[in-house]
Amino acid sequence: MVDTLIAGLIHGNAYALVAVGMSLIFGVTNVANFAHGSVFAIGTMLGWWFAATLGWGIVPTLLATLVITSLLGLLINVTVVGPLSKSPPIAALLATIAVGMILDNGSQLVFGPQTRAFPEILPTHNLQLGGVRFGTSDVVMLVITLLSMVGLALFLKLGKSGQAIRATAQDPDAARQMGVPVKRIQNLSFVIASALAGVAGIFVGLFNSNINPASGSTAGLAAFVAATIGGLGSMPGAVIGGLVLGLAEAVGVYWWGDGVRDLITFGVLILVLVVRPSGLLGKRRTIGAEPLTGTFLGGGRPVRLPWWALVALVAAAIAVPFVLGDEVAGVGTQVILFAIAAVGLTLISGSAGQIILGQAGPIAVGAYASALLVITFQLPFLLGLLFGGVVAAIVASLLTFPVWKLSGHYVAIATIGVGAVTVAIIRIAEPITRGSYGLTGIPFPTILGHTLFSQDALYLLDLAVLLVTLLIVTRIRASHLGKAMASIGSDAVAAESLGIRPSAYKAVAYALASFFAGLAGALMAHQYTYIDPTMFPQSMSTLVLTIVVLGGLNSPLGAVIGAIVLVGAPELLRIVPEWRIIGYGLLLILIIRFRPQGVFVRK
Amino acid sequence: MALFSKRHRLAPVALLAGLSLALSACAGSSSGSDASGSADETVNIGVIYPKTGQYAEYGRLFEQGFELAVKKVNADGGVQGKQLGLEYFDTQSDPKQSAAVAPKLVADSSIIAVVGDYSSGSSTAASPTFQQAGLVHYGFNNSSPTFPETGDHVWSPAIAQDVYQVYNANVVATKAKKIAVVYIENDWGKQAYGYFKDQAAKNGTEIVYESSYLADSTDLSPILIPARDANPDAIVQIGYGPDGALVVNTLRDKLGYTGPFFGGQNTPEFLELAGDNAEGDIITGIFTVNSTDPLVQEFVTDFRAEYNEEPGDFNLTAYQAIIDLAYAANTTSATREGIQEALQTVTDFPSYQGTGTFKFDQETRRVENPEPLLLIVKDGKFEVYEG
Repeated sequence: MVDTLIAGLIHGNAYALVAVGMSLIFGVTNVANFAHGSVFAIGTMLGWWFAATLGWGIVPTLLATLVITSLLGLLINVTVVGPLSKSPPIAALLATIAVGMILDNGSQLVFGPQTRAFPEILPTHNLQLGGVRFGTSDVVMLVITLLSMVGLALFLKLGKSGQAIRATAQDPDAARQMGVPVKRIQNLSFVIASALAGVAGIFVGLFNSNINPASGSTAGLAAFVAATIGGLGSMPGAVIGGLVLGLAEAVGVYWWGDGVRDLITFGVLILVLVVRPSGLLGKRRTIGAEPLTGTFLGGGRPVRLPWWALVALVAAAIAVPFVLGDEVAGVGTQVILFAIAAVGLTLISGSAGQIILGQAGPIAVGAYASALLVITFQLPFLLGLLFGGVVAAIVASLLTFPVWKLSGHYVAIATIGVGAVTVAIIRIAEPITRGSYGLTGIPFPTILGHTLFSQDALYLLDLAVLLVTLLIVTRIRASHLGKAMASIGSDAVAAESLGIRPSAYKAVAYALASFFAGLAGALMAHQYTYIDPTMFPQSMSTLVLTIVVLGGLNSPLGAVIGAIVLVGAPELLRIVPEWRIIGYGLLLILIIRFRPQGVFVRK
Repeated sequence: MALFSKRHRLAPVALLAGLSLALSACAGSSSGSDASGSADETVNIGVIYPKTGQYAEYGRLFEQGFELAVKKVNADGGVQGKQLGLEYFDTQSDPKQSAAVAPKLVADSSIIAVVGDYSSGSSTAASPTFQQAGLVHYGFNNSSPTFPETGDHVWSPAIAQDVYQVYNANVVATKAKKIAVVYIENDWGKQAYGYFKDQAAKNGTEIVYESSYLADSTDLSPILIPARDANPDAIVQIGYGPDGALVVNTLRDKLGYTGPFFGGQNTPEFLELAGDNAEGDIITGIFTVNSTDPLVQEFVTDFRAEYNEEPGDFNLTAYQAIIDLAYAANTTSATREGIQEALQTVTDFPSYQGTGTFKFDQETRRVENPEPLLLIVKDGKFEVYEG
């Protein structure tokens, strides 16, 4: 057990070093920088290249890596994050996700995808504590973590630029009036954090020994969890958060096996948020613009189409498989599945103004519920579909229940955890769900005795469900309930003073959104005929949210367009496979930058 | 954006066309799924595989094998006098994407068979579409015994895990009475470990510690510490190459474990990552570069000449898959029907794994009586282990 604790601390140290940079950027710019993990991964690959290919020693490798990653950080802020400073912070968050995609795939193109060994530019297992060996590299990493923590904390507290950074974080406008060069300060924070990410890349690379360019998103998410546990914006918090996470994972995995690691990581996240929302060391802050809430609206209202245009659109949609063939219909089914989940999400993320980053959870529950009911109890498909939605709504509501007492961006962060925990539970509940084995032989949809398996038939089925979804969601939005939800989204304080309880209505809106996500999941299960827990990753949650943001958070029809662009376009971009995801990332950034209110919304 | 406006422009046209067509063409699949009679000079094999994403390394290895095989087939006269080509579709081994591209492959009448994907999840999501269209889905990397169950057009030449793991457990039993096992937490790893465990029980091998691990784990100390502390005679890892290297490196470098290790994969990547730590490791595989079999030697020589790298199992299975399908087309006809017929009737597919020829078991749609090899790492290379 002692050995496990030692191993956990050493690993936690690796989390901490990445988390410090993430926390710094958040503290200064209020942006949850999801590209940070990718900058870190590029640091690893650069370190590998300098040390293994060019044969450089530790010092030149460190310096060169640090210079390049800090320039990369500057570039990200100048070209992507900075210009969005006037937009709601959610825009910057999504833009950093897109930047992460570009960096990860770019790095893979440059360095090649294979896993390789990080060269031992410092000894990695020359020291021993109990039954665990570690290296000079781990000691140096700890020293760097502590130095950067103390250094940054003191710098923020005492240094002139540091004070300017804090002032900028508290109130950019006031800071600007006091003569603080806000832009430069924000650039500086990106440079420092990204330099740290580069350093972390090298030392964590030494610790992991196995490295590859695709590790950025996992590392970024873990660091984000660590920073949140410690309290976003707090340097000592980031370090403590990293160590706590490392220890919790090590102990939990020691007892229950590594299969439960996701459950532990994100379970700890939710637990900390519920018990102490601002993290272990974070101060409760009263910031005007909550980083992960708020909508792009204010700027826009959904475009209303005349009835004949709607009829024409529906008819055109029906005609797709007949006119454009199976090929397009096949892509169309994928587009529609995501559109159904996204249209539902407009109720909570659009109307009620609450960003949700974990919709893969209810999608997975819907898929499993429907598949299991149809397989085990021979339920007719349509009933399975309906129950898929209902069970998804119930499970998602139960798991998210403790979260609604939180406020602001903590809800959005918690939903990342809820999504991951849901999938982790499905994986562990092997007696019911067959866990990682996956469910095979899920029957195709059957309606009135007809089994639907051709692309056009499946397309039309999906389209029918989408139309029903659009109808229900539009009706809800027009109803009293919808107005109450929208009032929360526009002004939660005003709504509350009118007797509308934001948390209760958010819970209702979320249950409805999860119902539709469940429908999408159920359709998915019966079309793929196979599901397993790896099919519902965090990137699926991100995709659903991005679709809604793209179309206009408040526009159900916009969500459909978002799905066409984000699910359909990557298929179109297939002409250049290697550049596909990069093109997708660029497209996303351009849209967020130049049409932040969504494509299907007018000012 | 572009798509949106395009839709708008298309809307009136589509409306008219749609209404008339919807009335006449209700349920039937209207677009082309029939490849016979194609007068093109090239016939294609469709490839669904991870060109990008987390499994891109396997995609790279596959592509090396595919390209080499197509080169050989065309140098030997192509298929039925036509050139053989490949149509690549990147899926990232993601079921969402493989399901989305499947209809594209079906609609392309030059494609006579499909190979791939890397993972069974992604393969299985695409299978129903191919099955439906009467297009052979040749899942050369899908060692899950349940993979071909989707239908009679779904085949796999991969040695199934129920065979592999019997060999694996038996060789472990010759070295150890008490073992600790770690395996990768996915459908493949679970199934493989299930078969391993059954055989270990038959052999009377005691499993003193077991744990799965997630594919993206970077620190496996928390499961390897208790594995080491359970004092096993040997530690077994069931998974892939990179994680196999991570397990053995953690055991030897960080936890001071010196006993026997069974695990990893027949890839240059595994040998490179694990280095000296892999010495004496015994695994099941399908071939070695030192085989004296003439076909294996032909493959190894060609591969080295083309890529200046050592070939591994993933290169060979990809290579073999294309050779198999070309052989099938040359025996019957270079059409979708021809491939299916050949897989049902041909009894002498040449094997590049050193086992002469093989044929398919028509019940399981897998290779009949497959023979995995036992390989041992000696001086940083896999050699055949004679027991």
